[in-house]
Amino acid sequence: MSPAPSLSVVVPLHNEAENVAPLCVAVREALDGWSWELVLVDDGSGDATLAIATEIAEYDARVRVIPLARNYGQTTALQAGFDHAGGDVIVTMDGDLQNDPRDIPALVGKLADGYDMVAGYRVRRADRLLTRRLPSYVANRMIRRITGVPLRDLGCALKAFRRELLGRLHLYADMHRFLAVLATAQGARIAELPVRHHPRRAGQSKYDLRRTPRVMADLVTLKMIVSFRERPLALFGSGAVVATVLGSIAGVMALALRKHDVHLLVMPGVSLLCFGFACYLVMLGVIGEVVVRETYADDAYGPAGVARPLLPTIGAT
Amino acid sequence: MSPADARVRLAWPAGSTRPTGTFPDTDPDTGPGKAAALDVAVVVLVSEAPEPLAELYEEYAPPLRAFGRRFEFIFAVEPAHRLLIEPVLELARRGEPVRCIELAHTVNEAALLSAAAATTTAPIVVTLPAYRRVIAEALPSLIARVEEGADLVVARRWPRRDGWINRMQNRVLHVLVQRVAGGRLRDVACGVRAVRRDVLREVPLYGEFLRFFPILATRQGYRVEEVDAPQHPRDVRTRVYAPGVYVRRLLDVLALAFLVRFREAPLRFFGLIGAMFALAGTAVLGVMIVQRTGGRALADRPLFLGAALLIVLGLQAIALGLIGEIIVHLHASRQPRYRVKNPHE
Repeated sequence: MSPAPSLSVVVPLHNEAENVAPLCVAVREALDGWSWELVLVDDGSGDATLAIATEIAEYDARVRVIPLARNYGQTTALQAGFDHAGGDVIVTMDGDLQNDPRDIPALVGKLADGYDMVAGYRVRRADRLLTRRLPSYVANRMIRRITGVPLRDLGCALKAFRRELLGRLHLYADMHRFLAVLATAQGARIAELPVRHHPRRAGQSKYDLRRTPRVMADLVTLKMIVSFRERPLALFGSGAVVATVLGSIAGVMALALRKHDVHLLVMPGVSLLCFGFACYLVMLGVIGEVVVRETYADDAYGPAGVARPLLPTIGAT
Repeated sequence: MSPADARVRLAWPAGSTRPTGTFPDTDPDTGPGKAAALDVAVVVLVSEAPEPLAELYEEYAPPLRAFGRRFEFIFAVEPAHRLLIEPVLELARRGEPVRCIELAHTVNEAALLSAAAATTTAPIVVTLPAYRRVIAEALPSLIARVEEGADLVVARRWPRRDGWINRMQNRVLHVLVQRVAGGRLRDVACGVRAVRRDVLREVPLYGEFLRFFPILATRQGYRVEEVDAPQHPRDVRTRVYAPGVYVRRLLDVLALAFLVRFREAPLRFFGLIGAMFALAGTAVLGVMIVQRTGGRALADRPLFLGAALLIVLGLQAIALGLIGEIIVHLHASRQPRYRVKNPHE
């Protein structure tokens, strides 16, 4: 392996046998004259992807293959790539050649202007309008609204990161979609650049519209976690306050209705239920606080976002 | 091996998942030089309903000897069965390759196994319960499959000799397990397995989950295979347990289902349940509010209480899921969630 390349291109591959070789050629041409490495993460492909990638890695030392033991999904594959990448700057890309490696120098250049992350956004997307571009447009609008992260195209896989930023992000579940949200929570400075987008030449698209509701649910979850992971009691406590207010209203109504000839149990019941729920939320919030304190107590990795300045030197770029 | 080495006592320090004691990796006296000669370590987990240990050894050792592999037997013994150790020490004095690991206090089978596996350098570990499940002649075929490249080989008792009650219980367990965790294993409860030692180190073993170890190993991307092994004639006793045992088993399967599917996203589980409750409650409440505008009082109807209860239940589940998500998020950096293939795979 060449000594510490300044740029790592991480590409998760799942059943992309036809695309591996063209991808390597394209990267090689685009990054001619740079110090780079290409980290191919084989995410448990069932076809010849791994064999082809290994073969390429044998005659080009700049190409490395990380073979995962089974199909873990894109998020985990990306994290594996990040863990094994050695560059100061890490670029992610899809393995289906819809992204163009020729955009990488521009992204990295933008990074040097003082950003921690540069995301590509696809101009003139070469996908179907109704099943791909429209849902993507709606999703991006919603994500911008919910998270406040002003990115036009979160679905674009072509992104560049400083290694210090990735060191602070730990991806799991389906979080690769929300890298920008997680990065913002870490105080990262994010820029956007237009990138090219080509139609799929070979292989199968893995996009599925039915995933949309789950992605939305994940997004809300992520937003909650990012905002409240360091003070869960604030989240649960506000819930408890709301429940207490509702319980009090029901209690007052119960008292007011006492004289009338109405069902005796209903309003007091609702009132008690609300108070009980408030207690439950407070207790849960306290447990949450304990967990958070315990985690930070025995861990070198302190509360995220405290040490905001990322931006160290970018090697030879 | 001198008889003095044949008995090792291990204590578990508080807060540790590993017992203290001398391990081959750290102690040159019992280390690689001597133990590298071993091919197979047979670990007998002496915890429930053990049969005389020397008899087990005398039954299971000859086929291994005939198979031509250098082996040792390690009896991992819970304190409750301390009295069973003496005959094993007797065997050791006669020069048989047997050892005992005595745990200082009662632990579960997973702990017994990791304690024993930590003291051997044999590349392949065979686990046996302390009672006869399959005939001794089946062991070499398990070991052979591991040598051919499998990471974990599970014996499936087949053909079976026991009655329909046992088989039906087994069947029900496996229908459940296959439902929740996938896979196609047909006898996870058998307990006779051959495994590469590294796999034991890399797949976290704890609690009652030793039973589901093959499923967890599959999830880690290991090659898990099943081999038919004729059932031992002594394994025919009809097993009917106390109701509590069945309840615990069912809870184990539930825990497995949760771990396999929702370990990284607990809110997907709790959120789904919670959303169903909360939506049902909101729907009922909505109808009642519409009726209220039509002049029907709310406070007069017990159903109002029911709707409130549904909503609260739903929100409780969601809140619990959120706590789960926070815990997962905080621990995300702790360990890699993937396994990279070894060069030999």
